[in-house]
Amino acid sequence: MIEIKDVQKSFNGQSVLKKVSLQVEDGDVVAVLGPSGSGKTTFLRCINFLEHADAGELSIGPKTVDLNRASKREILAVRRKTAFVFQNYNLFNNKTVLENIMEGLVTARKVPVKAAREKAEESLVWVGLKEKRDAYPAQLSGGQQQRVGIARAVVLEPEVILFDEPTSAMDPELVGETLEVIRKVAHRGITMIIVTHEMSFAREIANKVVFMDGGVVVEEGTPEEIFGHPKEERTKKFLSRFINAESMYYI
Amino acid sequence: MEFNAVYFWESLQSGLTYLPRTMELTGIPILCGFVFGILFAVVRVYKVSFFSPLIAVFVVIYQGLPTVVALLIFNLMFMANFNAVSSSLSLGITAAQIDNIWIGIVVLSLQAICNIEEAFRGAFYSVDNGQHAAALSVGLTEVQTLRRIILPQMLPVALPMVTNNIVGIIKNSSIVVAIGITEVLAGASIPASKTYSFLESYIAAALIYWVLTACVEYTFRRIELRGRKYRRQLA
Ligand SMILES: Nc1ncnc2c1ncn2[C@@H]1O[C@H](COP(=O)(O)OP(=O)(O)OP(=O)(O)O)[C@@H](O)[C@H]1O
Ligand SMILES: [Mg+2]
Repeated sequence: MIEIKDVQKSFNGQSVLKKVSLQVEDGDVVAVLGPSGSGKTTFLRCINFLEHADAGELSIGPKTVDLNRASKREILAVRRKTAFVFQNYNLFNNKTVLENIMEGLVTARKVPVKAAREKAEESLVWVGLKEKRDAYPAQLSGGQQQRVGIARAVVLEPEVILFDEPTSAMDPELVGETLEVIRKVAHRGITMIIVTHEMSFAREIANKVVFMDGGVVVEEGTPEEIFGHPKEERTKKFLSRFINAESMYYI
Repeated sequence: MEFNAVYFWESLQSGLTYLPRTMELTGIPILCGFVFGILFAVVRVYKVSFFSPLIAVFVVIYQGLPTVVALLIFNLMFMANFNAVSSSLSLGITAAQIDNIWIGIVVLSLQAICNIEEAFRGAFYSVDNGQHAAALSVGLTEVQTLRRIILPQMLPVALPMVTNNIVGIIKNSSIVVAIGITEVLAGASIPASKTYSFLESYIAAALIYWVLTACVEYTFRRIELRGRKYRRQLA
């Protein structure tokens, strides 16, 4: 189980996260929704120490660390139990697709190169990009880059994968293939927290939905509760914009 | 004005015997420039307290100083203070025993360090921050991230500027004649003191410099191309 407690973060005196907490059971797929600027990215980055939180606690399994006062070793330990899939893919441009996937295994986890290559190749097949193994990121489409980004995260077999709007930077026609791969990750039973604006996708794959606004969790529940019967006014207002926008496509 | 091929040949030979001096005068600064320039760039990018602002101030001051002026100042300070410092430390050597090429080497080294520091610092910011975050997220340490992800991408960006800087240092090195150091330019001019064939001497020196800088440029452009393979565009 992963428990995140009372995360606080401010930038230049402006409070962006105000005591955000979240409980995630093993195998959960948690979708985090919320308007732009509500602190979703910052929340994910704090969990992975990419952002230094002002306060908060993180427990992964039996181990609890202070998000503000963690030592370098604790930070590294958390990072090695988690993986991140970025909005802008952030592949290593100087490395081939296969090397991108192997990097964490070989350099961080000291897996022997041969074994790492085998695992990397396997996960590359899994995301359907076997033929791109020796390509450089600059030679791939956005959707392909993100699938490599997902393979890079999955290959580490982390306790949880954090997705930050994995499809929002790509051309609309590439979104489908990427969501397909994320669906596969979920079906594999990997715990994930996913920030997304793809409402119908969130409703489909998540078993828990969190709505954030203004640096607080406004409401959380099952997809049925949040999408079907939202209680809070702010949730209703936010969702109605999307429902309208999405139903436009079907007209 | 007549051009005398015999005098030219003499000057060329005389200049070439001083080529090792010019190599020393530029090679050591270039080496120092790479080692300390990259180190200082990292210190500034990571905003290491105390050292980072110190380097920043130094670079601003030194970059604004013409090389000749720096040479004259360093030379004067050396002449005025070396003997006192030497005797207080009982080193048993006097200023006259020290080859003043070292003053030139120090002045040019500081310049190379400033130039290369600036080139690398600029290149660092060209590697987008996201890759840094991604490297940390897969469990790399800061040092591993720097060595395996950031530096390899900085090099091809920094190199064109570094090449220009190095060529600049080589050309600039001739300015040490101002404090009486003999290198290629002064060496090529030695025959002219008897024959007054200054034009031949200067052209001989120019030729040596031109070949030297052309070699350096060629070498660095080759390295640049090799570091660039991952930048291939979509096939
Ligand atoms: N490094 C930073 N420095 C200063 N302010 C920041 C920084 N990162 C984020 N912020 C601010 O924090 C707030 C929350 O940002 P965050 O990126 O977490 O929002 P978000 O919910 O992910 O939004 P979006 O849906 O647009 O991605 C914003 O007001 C943003 O301007
Ligand atoms: Mg965001």
